[in-house]
This record gives sequence, structure tokens and C-alpha cells, in this order.
Amino acid sequence: MRRALGVLLSRALSLLALSPLALSACAGPGGDGPYFGKVAPPEGQTLRYISGSEPESLDPQVATGQPEARIILSLFDGLTEYAPRTGEPIPALAERWDVNGDSTEFTFHLRTNARWSDGTPITADDIVYSLRRGLSPALASRNAYLAYGIENAQAYNEGAVFARERATGAFVPDPANPRIRLTLPADPEVRGEVLARLPGLADGQPDLDFVPVQPEDVGVVADDAHTVRVRMALPVPYFLGLVAHQFFRPVPRQAIETWGERWTDPAHIVTSGAFLLERWLPYNEINVVRNPGYWDEVRLDRISFYTLEDVTTMLNLYKAGEVDALYNHTVPAAWVDTIRPYKDYMDAPEASVEYLLFNVERPPMDDIRVRKAFNMAVDKVALAQYRRTAKPLSGFTPEGIFPGYPQPTGDPFDPDRARALLAEAGYAGRDGAWDPSTFPIADVALTYNTAETNRQLAEFVQAQWKQNLGLTVPLRNLEFRTFLTVRNDRDYSGLARGGWAGDYLDPFTFLELFSTPAGNNGTGWFDPRYAAMLDAANREGDPAARYARLADAEAYLLDAQPIVPLLTMATNWVKKPYVKGLFANPVTMHAWKFVYIEHDPSNWDLEDPTPR
Amino acid sequence: MLRFILRRLFVTVPMVLVVVSLTWGLIRLAPGNFYTGEKPIPPAIEQNLRQRYGLDRPWYVQYGRMLGSVAAGDFGISLHYIGQPVNGILASALPVSALLGALSYLLALVVGVAAGVLAALRQNSRLDYASMTAAMVGISLPNFVLGPVLVLVFALSWYWLPPARWNGFGINLILPVVTLSAVYMAYVARLARSGMLEVLRSNYIRTARAKGLPERTVLLRHAVRGGLLPVVSFSGPALAFLITGAVVVERIFALPGLGNYFINANLNRDEPLIIGIVAFTSIAVLVFNLLVDVAYAFVDPRVRY
Repeated sequence: MRRALGVLLSRALSLLALSPLALSACAGPGGDGPYFGKVAPPEGQTLRYISGSEPESLDPQVATGQPEARIILSLFDGLTEYAPRTGEPIPALAERWDVNGDSTEFTFHLRTNARWSDGTPITADDIVYSLRRGLSPALASRNAYLAYGIENAQAYNEGAVFARERATGAFVPDPANPRIRLTLPADPEVRGEVLARLPGLADGQPDLDFVPVQPEDVGVVADDAHTVRVRMALPVPYFLGLVAHQFFRPVPRQAIETWGERWTDPAHIVTSGAFLLERWLPYNEINVVRNPGYWDEVRLDRISFYTLEDVTTMLNLYKAGEVDALYNHTVPAAWVDTIRPYKDYMDAPEASVEYLLFNVERPPMDDIRVRKAFNMAVDKVALAQYRRTAKPLSGFTPEGIFPGYPQPTGDPFDPDRARALLAEAGYAGRDGAWDPSTFPIADVALTYNTAETNRQLAEFVQAQWKQNLGLTVPLRNLEFRTFLTVRNDRDYSGLARGGWAGDYLDPFTFLELFSTPAGNNGTGWFDPRYAAMLDAANREGDPAARYARLADAEAYLLDAQPIVPLLTMATNWVKKPYVKGLFANPVTMHAWKFVYIEHDPSNWDLEDPTPR
Repeated sequence: MLRFILRRLFVTVPMVLVVVSLTWGLIRLAPGNFYTGEKPIPPAIEQNLRQRYGLDRPWYVQYGRMLGSVAAGDFGISLHYIGQPVNGILASALPVSALLGALSYLLALVVGVAAGVLAALRQNSRLDYASMTAAMVGISLPNFVLGPVLVLVFALSWYWLPPARWNGFGINLILPVVTLSAVYMAYVARLARSGMLEVLRSNYIRTARAKGLPERTVLLRHAVRGGLLPVVSFSGPALAFLITGAVVVERIFALPGLGNYFINANLNRDEPLIIGIVAFTSIAVLVFNLLVDVAYAFVDPRVRY
């Protein structure tokens, strides 16, 4: 009874939370013009943008979330920048770059007219310092893994050691990749185990010295004041897409060494981007103003990033004309149909996917036929229609994001085949046909992290299995961090929800998830052959051939079915017609210097003149 | 009186101790950690983080350190808002919550007492029924309903008032203050009415009238003092909760108060911040209760300490 009351109450709450917009927006575009709510441009060149949660930090190398990233993008310049329309890398601090044949060495040529906000020039040394800092174990950055492709980066970050032969003083090369040095865990016990497995080294162990990996060993060198060379441990063809990420944006050594952790306080911060930090009011707003010393043209005078979390409140502010644009995923499913007809709605496929993970270590999901049956019994087209803001997904990489990528498709929706597979797996009655009563449903659940959209998704999928397989899979929701702990430890039975937003625009940022048994994998499925296929793809010099190999690997992954692909997400946000230079790109990262306010209403509906 | 206050303050110490200890234990029981993220971190980094924040020490060392920080009134550095001292966060969020809470309670008192007293004086009149119906509605209507309805009318239909956000002391506060005060206003009105009704029938009021005092003096000097006692005892805890963060209203109106921080601190497993807010809130509740008890001595001549 108490529980029922609780459920009723939470239903009432969610309904009522929707009411202001639902009620006030029912007029539709026919009634009140082509735009949603009040349209009154702010005076001058000021943008008011809702950026989401209060940032955990404005330190580019420490902050991990996208809400933080969007603010950081205004304050710190990268070697490359996200192109406004496509999110592809365009020159920024680096005027141009060279890449060697197998994508193992990247040389960036820095512009000479870029300065920190304190006036000191930005040089190659700043890039080197920043990467070493980002990877230092003391900083313990949670984004450090993004740079692991760089030579010795992972070893330095994890406090590993090199092995050096005592007699000759020569470093032992990595048997798997002789071009680079072998790195070993610092812990003598673990190291002993690793060494024992390495051919030819197990016996020579007493003659080795173990030298800690130093920051200088990381593969980043300043050739001169304006040339930086980055050496990779492996071919990293997607590296250029990655360097626009906030983790790779240089940070000011002078401020960090003076102020330590407090260097991002408005009073101390030194920045490099198109805007300067003016004010930081926690849980309220962060103001940035145009940087007069910036090397490029900047059109806005000021951006106010409003930090708030409630989507109803955001849309209320938007409708009342108190803000000019929102971040992605801010229009709830219940309102999409209302808002979509207006010109405000920003819709485009996004480089992020939603899927379900199987715990392949526990029966019955250790049987590939069962996994395939569960996948085939979900109608993803119907799910996408239900969600309204997403597209059905049958592969694992998002659809419609990577031009030229021959994306493989997974098994189609096929309930008959699903039931046949389950019967084949031994869950059959006397007549040999699928019999739901023989299936150990008690060993299966669908675990997800508490959120309204996740609940809807879970209930939809549950209904599909009920309808198509006759199985009622119990749902289990957990608070976010509890859920992550459970999923990472594979402490769940059956299935868990997964979502992944690409760190850069390349299929590898998705496929990589299953290339190690640990990390974000969460399924317990690991196949060295899959990892080798990805590795071979990245060694491929020709981009088209590389894509073909990556697609082969994706097909291999889909065939093993450690996941149920569900949806490609959509950007799903709104902006006022007078905001120009702000596009629905697949990463929802905006180069703020291109954004401006168009005060002439006759230009609002014209094609945005922003290039790229 | 002074001895009473000192004794009560002395009791506050073990109570706060129990509250923060329980909180500390509960944080530890929750799965996950402040660094648990979508992207798991390498074991070496995790080790670095644990070392840096002292999580690798035995539990009693960590517990002792937590108690020390509470005793010193310096709650340390937030784990989620990297590098930000908890005291600084409290200092920035508290004035917002305190202003919102104080204004709301002031409004609730003025309107609630006026309505309650008038209703009691004109018992069973139309005014009485109207104000008590309004009070009933106020009590039954939760603020997560009232807030959005007010926003819909005043901010999204008539565009009179801003729908949300903090802008210091100004028109942005009108909707949240009204929303937050509604329930309290209703309670105060009902308490004032029943308190007054009871007092008006009591012997000392009859005595006062029999002595020939003017009705005005009877009401203001004698009746109101006794009749509003229930309102006074309600005010302590109410005010304490109001100024230490109104979670729902702060969220609906996007106000940078303690409520927002408290929710997120829990979701983020931000131990120093949780401890800081809990310790602060519990002290506030105890102190406000004490203030109410002291106030009794002035309002109610029967009370002696």
C-alpha cells in the first residue's frame, strides 16, 4: 500500500511537472507564429545558454562531463577546434599539421600569434607541459585514458616501469611492438607474473633494472617554439578528432604552479580561448566575456552559462525568453511532438547510442542462442517511434554519423526465429517448440539506472519480450553510482542498460569498448580476435580500407551478441531564431567564437552564413 | 535562564555527534564512490585518488578525521567540486536559502496570523470559512504542484514574472517565496485560529473583560500572547528547515541554495559536503528549537526556567 502510494505520488509529480509546458504550448505553431514562446533578442551580442549541472571543475584536464566541456571550450583553445556544423577538427592553436603514413606521428605547427590571457605567448612547451600534467598520476585525471595511444602515456599514468638490461644499459623492447619499450607494472609481485609469461625474459629477470617511467618519456616533444611532435605507441588514425577534446587543451603552467588546485578561481585563472572568465556563481551562472587579445575574430561580447538541472525549468526559461539556447537532450519525450514543429527545434543524429549489455558469464546468457533470441525479440523501429527523439539501431556504432563507414547491420526483428533459437537452446516442451515455462526467468533481470527515460525504455523492452517470447523479465532500477558499480563488477544477472557517447568522431570510440575485458565493457565478453581485428584496422593507412576493416570487426562483435543494440540518439535541443552559428552537430560541442546574435528578423529564417 | 541555555547547548554536542556519525556510516554503506563514473579508471589512478583523499587509511582514522573537521568547523575540500572548500560552498549557498526561507516564513507569519486571528474572532462567519478553506487547500497542495501552476500563470501566460533563477533580492524571489510559504501560511493560520479560540474562552480573558478592559487591550495584551503560543512552538523547526534549504522549490526555480547542493552531494558521494550540510542543518534545528523555548519565557508568563 505504501509502495503503491509512492508510485502514485511519483506519477502525479511527473505529470504535474510537465503541466506548465504541456498546457501552455498546446496552441501550436499555427496559433502563435513559427517560434516557440517569447522571441526577443537580448541587447547587443550576449548569449544566454543553459549548460546543465554545476561544473565539477573548469580545469580542462580534470573535468569529465559534457556540461563542463561546453564551458571550457569557451575559455581554452585546442590545437584543433570542433567545426560548428560537423564537429570535425578544424585548425585552432595549430595552424596546420602533418601525419606520417601509418598515423604513428603527428606534427602540429602552432600559430605564432596566440597568447595566454596574461599576455605570455602560447608555445610548444605549453603543449608538452599540459600533456605531461594531464597524464601525471598525481593529477589522477579520469580522462587520461583518452591519451593512452601516445607512446608511454599509459605507462606513465599508471606508474609503470621500463625494464633495462643491467649489463648493456639497453631498454628491453616490447615483444608485441618492438618499436617501443616494454613497460611493466610497478608492483614487483604483479610484475613477476607478467615477466614469467613473456617469452625469453622469464629467465633473464635477475639481470634487469626497473626504471620508473618519467614524464619526459611520454611521446610528446617540442621540436621548436612552435612545433610539437606527438609519437604514438600504435597507429591512431582518429587522433586529430580527439585533440579538440578538452583533455588535450593546453593549460597555463604559470597559473597552476602558483595557485595549485585553486588556479581556476576567477581571480587566478589564466586562459587561452575566445572568452575570459568574468564571474562564477555556483549553481547559478558562469559569465565569460570576449577576450580582446584572442587571435581570431570573436562575435559575441559575452556568454552567460546558466547552470541548472531541471528540464522543466529550462524549458520554462526558454519559453519566457529568458534564455536563448539549451544543451542537448533537454526536450523530454512528452513535449517533443509539441516543440518539433517550431523552428526552434534542433534535431540531428548524435554520436551516441543506447544498448543493453548481457552478463555473458552467468547462465542462461552465457548461451549465444539465448542472447540472439533476446535481441531478435525487440522491435527497435517501434522503440524509436515510441521514444520520438531517436533512430532504431541494429549495429553498435551510431547510424548516420560516419560518412563512408560501411556499417554492418545486426539481426533484424524476428520473433519466430527468436523462439526457435530458444527452443534450440534447450528451452522446449515435449513437442520440441519453445516453452517459456522451461526458461530460468528467475536468473534474468533488466537492471537500469533510475531516470524517467530509462524506465520507459526498460518497460518497453520488457513488454516486447512479454509479447514476443512470453517472458516477463523483472526490472530493477538502481541509483546511478550504485548502478555503475554493479555493472562494472558484472554483479547483475541477465541484462543491464548501457549508453555511450563518442569521445571523438570515429567508429573506434564505440568499438573500443569491447576491446579489453575490463574498463567499460561490463559484459564479460572478450575475444582476443576482436581486439586484433581492431588493431589491424588501425594499422591500415587507407581510410576507406580502415573503415572496411572496422566494419568487419563490428560485424564480428554483433555476431557474438554481447549486447542488444537499441537506438542512435538525437541531439534534441532548442535555440531561438536570432542565435546564429550554433548548429546541431553530432557531438553537441560548439566553437563559441562563431556564434552571434542576429538582430535583423528578416535574416532569422535565411540559411546561416557560417562556413564549415 | 542562563543555566537552562547552557545545559541545552551542552546537550546539542552529543546529538550532533550522533547525527554526523550515522550519516558518515550511511555514506559508507552506499555502493560506489565519488570517482565512480561511466568510464572506470585504471587501478593505479584509483590508488592515487584513494591515497590523496586518505581513503586508504583504516576506518577509525577516517572517522576521527571527520569528527575533527566537524569539531573545528572546517569541513575540508569537496570531493566532487574539485578544490572547492565545503565552507566556501556553505557560505555561498546559505544566504540564498536563508533569504528565501526567512522571507517565506515572514510572509507565512503575517498572512497566517492575520487570517487565523480574524477567523477566530469571527468564528463560523464567512470569513472564517473562507480562510480555513484556503488553509486546507494550502496544506493539501504540495509545492511541486503550486510552483509550476504559479509559473504557468504568472511567467508563461502573462509574462509578468521571471519563471526561475536567482538574481539576488528582487522580483525573481516572488514566485518561490509564495510557493514555499503557502503550506506554512496555512499551518500558521490554523494554529493561530485554534490557539485563539481556546484562549478566548479561558478564564483570564473573562477576568480581563470583567475588569472592564477595552476589547482592544484584551485582545492585543492578553489573548494574542497566549493564543499564538502554538505558532511560536511551530516556528522553531519550521524556520530551521526553511532556511537550511527548500529542496523542491530550489529545484523548480533553479535557486543556488543548500537544497540543490545536498541532493547532488548525496548522488555524488561527496562525503565532506554531505557531512558539512548535515552538521550545519542539525545544529540549526537544535539552535532554533532552543530559541523557541527561550521565546516561551517571554511570551508565556507561566513558563519559568
